[in-house]
Amino acid sequence: MDFKYILEARDVTYVYGRKDGGNASLKNVSIGIREGVKTVILGANGAGKSTLFYHFNGVFKPTAGELFYRGIPMSYQKEHLYQLREDVAVVVQNPDEQIFSSTVEEDVAFGPMNLNLHPDIVEGRIRDSLFKVGMEDYRYRPTTQLSYGQKKRVAIAGALAMEPKVLILDEPTAGLDPQMSQEVMELVDQMCLAGTTVIISTHDVDLAYAWAEEIHVMRHGHLVYSGVPEDFFNDRDSVALAGLTLPHTFSVNRSLEGIRGLPEAPYPKTNSQLLAKLSPPEAVFGTLCIRALPESEDVDREDEGLRVGIYGFRTRRAFKDRGLRADIYFNAVEGCCLSAMQGRDTVLYCDPELVDVVRRRVADLSRFGRAPEVVP
Amino acid sequence: MTSGNIIETVDLRYRYAGNDRDSLSEVSVRIRKGVKTVILGANGAGKSTLFYHFNGVFEPAGGRILFDGEPFSYRRRALRTLRSRVSVVLQNPDDQIFGQTVEEDVAYGPSNLGLPASEVSARVDRALRLVGLDDLRDRNTMKLSYGQRKRLALAGALAMDPEVLVMDEPTAGLDPQMALELMELAEQLHHSGTTVVISTHDVDLAYAWADEIHVLRRGHLIYSGPSEDFYSDPVQVYMTGVVQPSMFLINKSLCDMRGVEEAPYPRTETQLVSKMASGPKGRFVIIPVSDRLTPPMVDHAVEMLGGTEIRLGLYGYGVRALLPESGVPVDYVFDGFESCMSECLMGRDVILLCDEDCVDLIEAKIARLEDFGTKVQKMVQVRG
Repeated sequence: MDFKYILEARDVTYVYGRKDGGNASLKNVSIGIREGVKTVILGANGAGKSTLFYHFNGVFKPTAGELFYRGIPMSYQKEHLYQLREDVAVVVQNPDEQIFSSTVEEDVAFGPMNLNLHPDIVEGRIRDSLFKVGMEDYRYRPTTQLSYGQKKRVAIAGALAMEPKVLILDEPTAGLDPQMSQEVMELVDQMCLAGTTVIISTHDVDLAYAWAEEIHVMRHGHLVYSGVPEDFFNDRDSVALAGLTLPHTFSVNRSLEGIRGLPEAPYPKTNSQLLAKLSPPEAVFGTLCIRALPESEDVDREDEGLRVGIYGFRTRRAFKDRGLRADIYFNAVEGCCLSAMQGRDTVLYCDPELVDVVRRRVADLSRFGRAPEVVP
Repeated sequence: MTSGNIIETVDLRYRYAGNDRDSLSEVSVRIRKGVKTVILGANGAGKSTLFYHFNGVFEPAGGRILFDGEPFSYRRRALRTLRSRVSVVLQNPDDQIFGQTVEEDVAYGPSNLGLPASEVSARVDRALRLVGLDDLRDRNTMKLSYGQRKRLALAGALAMDPEVLVMDEPTAGLDPQMALELMELAEQLHHSGTTVVISTHDVDLAYAWADEIHVLRRGHLIYSGPSEDFYSDPVQVYMTGVVQPSMFLINKSLCDMRGVEEAPYPRTETQLVSKMASGPKGRFVIIPVSDRLTPPMVDHAVEMLGGTEIRLGLYGYGVRALLPESGVPVDYVFDGFESCMSECLMGRDVILLCDEDCVDLIEAKIARLEDFGTKVQKMVQVRG
């Protein structure tokens, strides 16, 4: 079946406590989420982001308007809702609202069990999803003993265990340390790559700008913008009205090109892209070597003197298991590019399916200026 | 004596009941009077536990704590005095808000100090104005949004008129604009003599704001000093669970590429931009505002500058409170200094409306840019 949007809201209005004509928290919202496109819903607290998400998995039924999944109107009948929630998983902001079982294992198993899958398949999904979030050692732990960050990862594992086609994450990095945030975003990237459509809500403009291909901006229950991030941030008044600010990379680039009298485009969204733009011709870059994590035990013998980065949950796990030391553990594609641009020879180990993505990201730096040389 | 330690812990140790390790272990930290201080660390590093010691809520299992050189006493009266001098704002406002209305909640602390009613009411007024909640003073506290509750909790602390203001993750959960507004207030309070201590794991915020950082890792204090020395050690940074701030990373990469020294270290966007590029600058006009803001105050400066592409920004809680009624069209309501300065670097004339007592603060910020190669023509409008 052909469809333009994997999820779509048409003219959706939602009123909380409608009996006494309460406040509408969504007002005539029409929004289309494109399959496979990294999507961010951006907006201040109370703009309606979470309310919209509860419509996407059918928990809320609109007061007016219609929702579509893969081009088909949502019917809100039991069996359809069942199907919808098998495909569309929402991870809410506060993990305590999502974790009900007494152990980690039971909690992650809850969704797949409800799908009446064969126990072997359920077992496989539990193991797989706990592995992805790095919580496999906590499988039999009581959920009450987990820290906030661990609970957040268990909640994500519960969603992953459904193997959803659409994964919706409400403020996934809120309350997490910087390293854990980057680990979550790395996992999200791997989900995208595996074909899952990922939608993130956030008010973190730096995260939104660096990650999203398309953003939808909400303000007081209205959708005020849909499109590429840079066009939105170019409209200073809209940014201010939406309660937001400019991402650092955007505003630094804007000031620099303003002073140099050059156009702002192409827009750097990461520090490495910004630096590629600014690198002086005389700078001597180091080389960058991208390797799929080998299965063999002797990984790092030839890495003497190189800076080592790791990327991907399998690589992360392998380094941990084998007690290998890396220099760049988080946000490593970015970190390794910067390392090479700083003049150091660098090697990045990554999960096999990520090799091409990493190569493309490095090559893409030449759009902005100089890219470090990738050696075999 | 400005360089003295306002709060000092010596070999502080604390363990929560039922835990198998100390949450604070041999922590000796010195909070210096009048120094913008950040306590940095991952979740669970011990930041909040340390803060509960600063206002005497927790009594250490080992070691001691001094306030202004005097050992803490945990007698009732001494604690009351201590808490009038050290205010702690918790991360979650719901742990701190007890009053039914906004006004009652803020009045609670000062009333308990046994102050006369007129003084209590003056403090409540001032605190609510500082956080921009004066319009909501009769509102039921249950009906406030998260951001409003967070500001209310801060107002409660400010009403104590403390010498030390300690804020645990003050920007967590706030929208970007509100976070900027709060950091501006922190800067203003610092400027007026309060020692402000902030805990955070937001390294960008910490880097831009702090004069001195103290880094906690699993209950141990592993670093005290200027930010740069800490971030220059990637292994320490990694072990602490944080990352290098963007400004630090960009500057380092750029200096490596150019083969030049990393210092001076830019901590803000305008400092970074000043270091990287330069062109004709605009003029920077500062208009001090006290109790009145009207369009003619701005018209004069606009006429003098004589351009059409003039940008207006504001700085300070006082002028922010006057803005809605003033009819003055301001371009940059948040992050006014940085926004105006970045326009100025691109050659536009700018006007910054700022609280009267902040003029020297703004002048110092402008002067600081000279370290990074930017000299801006600055004018302060005389009142009249």
